[in-house]
Amino acid sequence: MKEFLSKLRRMDWILSACMMALIVMGVVFINSAGSVRPTDALRSLWRVHASTALFGLAVYMAFAVLDYRKLLDLGALPVFALSCAMLVLVLVVGTDRFGGRRWLWFFQPSEIAKLAVILFAAHVFAAPGRNDFRSFLAGAAILGGPAVLVLAEPDLGTALVLVPSVLAILLAARVWLKGLVTLLAVGLLAAGLVLWAVDRAEREPDPDARAKIYRFVPLREHQIKRLRVFLFPESDRTGDGYTLRQAQIAVGSGGIWGKGLKKGSQKLLGYLPSTVSMNDFIFAVLAEESGFMGVLLMLALFMGILGPGLRIAIRCPDDRGRLVVIGILTLIFCHLYVNVAMSLGLVPITGLPLPFISAGRTFLIVLMAALGIVQSVAIHHAELPDDDRDVEQPT
Amino acid sequence: MKVSTWFILSLGAVYLLGFLVLCSALFRLQYEDTSEFKADLALQNTRRIRVPGLRGRILDRNGAILAECRPSHCIQCNVEEFQRRGSATNTVAAVEEAVDRLASELKLARPASLTHARIERHVKLSSAMPLMLWEDVSDETFARFAEHSDEYPGFDVSTRPERIYPCGRLAAHILGYTGRSRPDDADSAHFFEHDMRGREGVERYYNRFLTGVAGERRVRVDARGFRPTKQREAMMEDDMDADVAPSAGLDLQLTIDKDVQAVLEAQLDGLTGAGVVLDPRDGAIIAMASAPTFDPNDCVPRLTREVYATLTNAPAKRLQNRAISESYAPGSTFKPITALAALANGWLPDDEYSCQGVYTLGNLRLHCWDRWGHGPITLRTAIEKSCNTFFCNIGTAIGTNAVISAARAFGLGSVTGVDLGGETPGVVPDNEWKFTNFNERWYPGDTCQMSIGQGMLLVTPLQMAVVAAALANGGKIFTPYLFARTEGQPPPKPVRSVPFASEYITLVRDGMRDVAEQGTGRRIRTRWEEAETGSFKKRRFNLNVTCAGKTGTAELGRGSTKRKNTWVIAFAPFEKPTVAMAMIVERGESGGSTVAPRVHAVLAHMFGETEVAAARPHGGMLERGD
Repeated sequence: MKEFLSKLRRMDWILSACMMALIVMGVVFINSAGSVRPTDALRSLWRVHASTALFGLAVYMAFAVLDYRKLLDLGALPVFALSCAMLVLVLVVGTDRFGGRRWLWFFQPSEIAKLAVILFAAHVFAAPGRNDFRSFLAGAAILGGPAVLVLAEPDLGTALVLVPSVLAILLAARVWLKGLVTLLAVGLLAAGLVLWAVDRAEREPDPDARAKIYRFVPLREHQIKRLRVFLFPESDRTGDGYTLRQAQIAVGSGGIWGKGLKKGSQKLLGYLPSTVSMNDFIFAVLAEESGFMGVLLMLALFMGILGPGLRIAIRCPDDRGRLVVIGILTLIFCHLYVNVAMSLGLVPITGLPLPFISAGRTFLIVLMAALGIVQSVAIHHAELPDDDRDVEQPT
Repeated sequence: MKVSTWFILSLGAVYLLGFLVLCSALFRLQYEDTSEFKADLALQNTRRIRVPGLRGRILDRNGAILAECRPSHCIQCNVEEFQRRGSATNTVAAVEEAVDRLASELKLARPASLTHARIERHVKLSSAMPLMLWEDVSDETFARFAEHSDEYPGFDVSTRPERIYPCGRLAAHILGYTGRSRPDDADSAHFFEHDMRGREGVERYYNRFLTGVAGERRVRVDARGFRPTKQREAMMEDDMDADVAPSAGLDLQLTIDKDVQAVLEAQLDGLTGAGVVLDPRDGAIIAMASAPTFDPNDCVPRLTREVYATLTNAPAKRLQNRAISESYAPGSTFKPITALAALANGWLPDDEYSCQGVYTLGNLRLHCWDRWGHGPITLRTAIEKSCNTFFCNIGTAIGTNAVISAARAFGLGSVTGVDLGGETPGVVPDNEWKFTNFNERWYPGDTCQMSIGQGMLLVTPLQMAVVAAALANGGKIFTPYLFARTEGQPPPKPVRSVPFASEYITLVRDGMRDVAEQGTGRRIRTRWEEAETGSFKKRRFNLNVTCAGKTGTAELGRGSTKRKNTWVIAFAPFEKPTVAMAMIVERGESGGSTVAPRVHAVLAHMFGETEVAAARPHGGMLERGD
C-alpha cells in the first residue's frame, strides 16, 4: 500500500488533470452534438462517453502502476501478434459500418493496433545495436503489416497517423539514421511534387494536357479526387467538399466567443452532417459553439498532455521508456493535428477522431491506457538501478 | 543512451510548430474572416420572403370608397411539422394524410388544385413556406377550425387582404380589377407571398402607386429546406437580419363623382354604348361609362377562364371600355368642327346656301335628312337644323385638308392621353391612309362624307367629350384625367388651343345652343312626361341652366344590316360651362330621340330641372332629324 501511494505521488498530475478536462469537454460536446439526433440512444451517447471514461480511468491507473518494462517484456510481442490477428479477423468477420469494415463485435481492432505497434516498435528498437539498415527493414515490417491490414478495412486515417509515430520512434532510436533522413526527404519531396502536379493539372483547361500530366502521377482516381477537393474545395460542393465547407462555416462563424453551448446553428440545422458531428467533425461543433477561446482552451489542454509527456521522456533514463513515450505522444499529436487541420481545410479529409473528445469507446480506452503507460514511465524510471537517476530526480 | 534529449526537445519544437500553425489558421478563420463565414452562414440558412404592402384604396372625388381590401381567412399547413425521416415521399404522405383528416373534420373537399404532385413539389422546393390549403374560407368553417385547432397541430389560419369593390358594377371600366401578381424577375427574394396586381383600368395604370413597397420576411431553414421546429429555433441565437416591414400603398383619389357615374350608368343600362362627362375647365373626368358592363368582384381574386370567356363574349364584350377603346363614326356631332374649318377658310357667317334636300357631286347623290330641303340657310341655322347638304357643300368648298387639319386640331385621330390603358386613336383618314388601307385614291365624295362625320372617320366617345369640352371652354384642349389633383397642385394646363378665332367659336357655340333650345337636340334641355292617363297634354321640364349640344346619327351598313349609332355631345351651363359630355348609344333611333333624353337626365342630376308651362302639345314630328 505504501508503495502504491508513493507511485501515485510520482505520477504527473498536470497530465492527468488535462486528460480529464479534455474528456469532460468531450462529454459536453458529444451531448451538444447528440442533441439533434433522432433517437434516444444517439442522444445519450455522452453518457456512454462518460462511463467509458470511468472504465478508462481504471485502465489508466492499472497501466500507470504496472511497471512498463515488465509490460513490454511480457506483453509487447503477444499484444502485437494478437492485434495483427484481430486485424485479419475483422476483415473476415467484422461488421460494416460507415463504409468500412472496422468493427469486431464491440471494438475497433485498428485502434488497439495503434498502441500495439508503438509498444512493439519501442520494445524492439530500444535494444542496443539495432540501428543498421536491416533493423530499418524490420521496423518497416512491424509497421507495414498492420498498416496494410488497416488500409484494407479501409482506414486511411489510422494508417496515416501510425507512420509518423513509428517514424518518430525510428528517428529517436537512430535506426539507419542517414538512410532514413534521406528517405524522409525524398518522400516529402515526392509528396510535394505529386501535390504540385495535381495542382498544375487541375488548373490546366485542356483535358488532353491534363491527362498527360496525370500519366506521371502514381495515384488512383479517387485519391486524385480527394486531393482535388483539398486543393480546390469549391469544385465539390456535395460530397467531401460539402462537409469541409460546412465545417469551415461552422468554425469561422463561431468567432471569438462562439455561439454558446448547444446553440450552434450549423449543427442544429443539419448543415454539418449529424452523422459526423460527434466523431470526426466534433471539432467543428466545439469551434462553432465555444469559439476561438474554446479552441485555445482545448489546444492548451493538449499542450498540458504533450508538454509533461515530453518532460517524462526527458527524465527517463531508459531508452525503452523514452521511445514508448515519444511514440504515444506523437500518435496523440498527429491525431489532434490531422483532425483539426482537416476541419479547417489544411489537410485532406481523412476519417480520424479527435483524441479524448470524439465519441468512440475503443479509442478512448486505448488512449487512456497509452497515457497510463506514459505515467508508468514517470513512476517507474526512478526505480531504475541506474547511477545517474538521482541527478535527474526533481528536487 | 541511444535516444538523445536533444531529439526529444526538437520533437517538442515540432509539436509547438504544429500548434502555431493551427492557432494562426484558427485565428484567421475565427477572427479575421469570421464576418465572411457569418455571411455565408446566413446565405445558406436564411430564405427571404417578399411580403407585399397593403394595396391602397380607390376613392371618388368626394371620398366614397370604390375599391378597398377586405380580410380573407385562409387555412394553411406548416409542412415542417410533418417532416418524416427518409425520403421526401414520407413527408408528402404525412402531409396528405393530415390534410385529408382535416378536410373531413371541416366538411370541406380537398382543393382540386392540391394534387399529390403539387404537395410533393411544395415539400421539395418551397418547404420554408406554408402550404396553402383553403383560401377565403367562410366564417362558419373558420369557426369550426378555430374550435378544433388544438387537435390539428401543423395547421393554422392566415389572414390576408383580398380586393373588394363595394359599389359592384359602378365604374367597373374605370376601376378595372386586380389579379394575382407573378414574381418579378428583378426581385431577389426566394419566395413570394400572395400579392395583387392591377390588370385593367386604373388598378393597372396606377398599379405601382397602389401597390406600395414590398417588405421582406426572413425565415431560417435547415439543410433540407424546412423551417426548424420552434424548439430548435429557440435554441439558436438570433443572428438573422431583421425583417423589413412593407409599407402600404397610397389611396388613389379619382375625379369621378360616384353619383353622376351612377346616373350615367343607369341611362346606359340595357343598351350598348358609352358616355363621358368631363369638366371642360381642366379635363377632369367626372363620369365615364361603358355598357354593357361587368362586376369587377367577379374578377377577383383571380379571373377564371370561364368568367373571362363570358365577359369577352361578342357582341356584348363586357370587359371592353367602349368610351376609349371602341371607335365610331361621329356623324353630325362632327359638324361643328367642319363649321369652324369653313369659317377659318373664308366662309362668312352670313353666307347662305340653299338646301334642296339632296347634294349631288359627280354621280354621288347625298340626301339631307329632310327630303324637302331646308331652303336657303346660314351656317348657324345649318348647325341648328343639322343640314347635311350644307356641310357637304362647305366641306367640298374648303377642301379635304382644311377639314382634316381641323379634326386633328381637336385631337381626333390620336389618343387623348387619358390615364387609362387601352385607348384607341380612332381614324382621321387622308389620302395616304386611304391608299394604304384601301388601295384607293381619295375622291371628292370622301371629303363630302367626312364633312358630315361619316365615311372612314372614326372617333372614341372620350375624344368627342374632349371636343365638346373644347367648344365649351373656347377652344382649349385638355388631356382628360382620372387621378384627382391634390390641393395646392397647380391646375392642369391645356395641351393646346384650337387655331380658330374666338368669334367663330362663339358662332358655333350659338348654333349649338340653338340645337338644344329649339333644334334637333331639344330633348337635351327639355323633358316631357305623361301628365296623367288619358290626357293629351304632357308635363314639360327644363334644365335649370342653358345648355348647348349637337346630336348625331351615324348610319352604318345597308339593307337588312343597316343600323344607326346615335350621338349627343353637349355642355352646360352655356355661359360658363362646367360640364361637357359625349354619349353614344349603338343601334339607336336618332341622336335627338334616343340619346338626348339620357343626356338630359345626367345634366338634370347635376343642375336640376324645373317644370315649365307646356307651350305646345308634344308632337311626333319634333323628334325627327339629327
